[in-house]
Amino acid sequence: MGEEKGRGWTFGLVGLLTPVTLWLGLFFLVPLLFILAYSFGTSGVYGGITLGFNPGNYLKVFDPLYLEIIVRTFIIALINTFLCLVLGYPLAYFIALKGGSWKNALILLVMIPFWTSLLLRAYAWVIILSGNGIANRVLQFLGITDEPITLIFTPQAVLMGMVYSYLPFMILPLYAALEKFDVRLKEAAQDLGASRWHTFWRVTFPLSMPGVIAGSILVFIPSAGEFVIPNLLGGSRTVMTGNLIQQQFLQARDWAFGSALSVMLAGLLVAAIIFYVRKVGAEKLEGV
Amino acid sequence: MEERRITERPPEEVEDPSQDVERTVAVELSAVTKRFGEFIAVDDLTLDIYEGEFFSLLGPSGCGKTTTLRMIAGFEEPTEGGISVGGDPMRRVPPYRRPVNTVFQSYAIFPHLNVFDNVAFGLRRSGVKGEELHKRVTDACEMVQLSGFEKRKPSMLSGGQQQRVALARALVNHPEVLLLDEPLGALDLKLRKEMQLYLKNLQHEVGITFIYVTHDQEEALTMSDRIAVMNEGRVQQVADPPTLYELPRNRFVSDFIGQTNVFSGTVESVSGKRITLSTPSGKVEATAREAEVEVGAEAHAAVRPEKVRFGSEGDNVSTARIQQLVYLGVSTQYIAELPDGEKLVLYQQNSREDANPEIGEEVPVAWDARNCLILGG
Repeated sequence: MGEEKGRGWTFGLVGLLTPVTLWLGLFFLVPLLFILAYSFGTSGVYGGITLGFNPGNYLKVFDPLYLEIIVRTFIIALINTFLCLVLGYPLAYFIALKGGSWKNALILLVMIPFWTSLLLRAYAWVIILSGNGIANRVLQFLGITDEPITLIFTPQAVLMGMVYSYLPFMILPLYAALEKFDVRLKEAAQDLGASRWHTFWRVTFPLSMPGVIAGSILVFIPSAGEFVIPNLLGGSRTVMTGNLIQQQFLQARDWAFGSALSVMLAGLLVAAIIFYVRKVGAEKLEGV
Repeated sequence: MEERRITERPPEEVEDPSQDVERTVAVELSAVTKRFGEFIAVDDLTLDIYEGEFFSLLGPSGCGKTTTLRMIAGFEEPTEGGISVGGDPMRRVPPYRRPVNTVFQSYAIFPHLNVFDNVAFGLRRSGVKGEELHKRVTDACEMVQLSGFEKRKPSMLSGGQQQRVALARALVNHPEVLLLDEPLGALDLKLRKEMQLYLKNLQHEVGITFIYVTHDQEEALTMSDRIAVMNEGRVQQVADPPTLYELPRNRFVSDFIGQTNVFSGTVESVSGKRITLSTPSGKVEATAREAEVEVGAEAHAAVRPEKVRFGSEGDNVSTARIQQLVYLGVSTQYIAELPDGEKLVLYQQNSREDANPEIGEEVPVAWDARNCLILGG
């Protein structure tokens, strides 16, 4: 009996997991191994690559020039995650707990931007923020400024575009967590003497932690690897690691250094996530 | 509506010296009405609940009992009328500033906190710290027999244990009034019976006023000092359990509390409190309480199944054909048919040596006028 059950279980497991294992193995793991191998190689003058063990690519990452870009990347990604959380939480809260019969319609509205490509939406921001773009014209029309001010090609412009792009990735998991929230717990907290403020910080917010964690990760990881938005809105002054990697692969043709940068970025992200979940998450996630 | 004075006390409390003492009102509801749009959930409710009392709000779902409790807790504001707790008016006082605590039907235990932190929640909000906090929480856990469970997460507790956490979490704050919203509804029968006795004893021990909402009449009868029977937002009768059972004021109460046989007819004669009803089943001798009854008026008379006996001696005598019998151990329930086809339910103790009637048998049945009450509307 037990044996049969065991075999069935194994068979089911193999059957269910084989397709995705093949797919990810072929299209994710193998390229990743290539990158890893390249990162220790040596780039030729004309773009070729010689495999070997050359730690020089990694040492190059610590050049202050590149280090600054990596640090900037993490700062922008952190600020972006924080802004998305601060802006997205009230909205997710409102939709989940006060949305009533409008809930689904409101969530659909949150997802509507996904219907156009990220590239188009980033270009739209270029049009809005450029020298004689809509934003400047409105500011001048209202008499706030006399002549166009620099909006585009600043870190602020990059953040504006990133918050806009990543907000839904924060709102959706927050909504999912808050939607499950039992409002009777709010009554219980108030019954026990907790004001609205305390009720939120002691009960509602801790119970939405799975959503906060998921949303933060979903926003932080892709924004740390972002290159389209800083490329279009940041110009040459707000280069992020993603742009640097893109440059190394497509313009400088230094695949070895590009690969080392990619591995470093991925490693740092994994470390950051582990640190974050350990620090904030583990205790909050268990038993909820 | 005139208030009936309490003339009878539950047997176990007869010696209670506080009986004759002027009692302090813990919760006062005066002319409270609650409307949700067009719907009237609670209709002109006036009620005094005394300090140290185990008071139940009993009624079918939708009768307004939970809304009443929520208004006392502060989750709903009365549309009209006022509520005071401990003499202080509660209008616009938020739930977190009221001297009451609630045990919720769903328990509403905080899933992210362990048992200790759940119980400590209210104390921390009122600034209790350190040694005292630890002692009071530990004592509360001990009181509900959850010592050693302090570090457990709620998801690792059974329903009965969660229920006791909810109880400890409320009682640890020493509220003036404890509100309980069908707290035993989710438990299985055996555990429910245990918890009923436990709650009753606990209330006696801590001396806090309990207001208990339930739709289970047996539960209310078992535990309460007094019960308010509610229907469609109105109080039907407020009385202690024996009075409620023996002297139901109206048809709703008599139907809702226990089983009853009702005879409907017109009043044929009135002689003091003795009323003769003319019904399709024949003449029925009954007793009126304070209700005014006029000759020729429509009236209902009710007799409890255990007050009907086999035999031909009594104020009311009839014959009945036994249709069904249900053996209940201590007693047997008979469902019989009167000559005009009306159903009659009666209970007989299984203590007599002689044989009980069988199905199909036709037997004389009798009941006395003093046990057959004229019911109000």
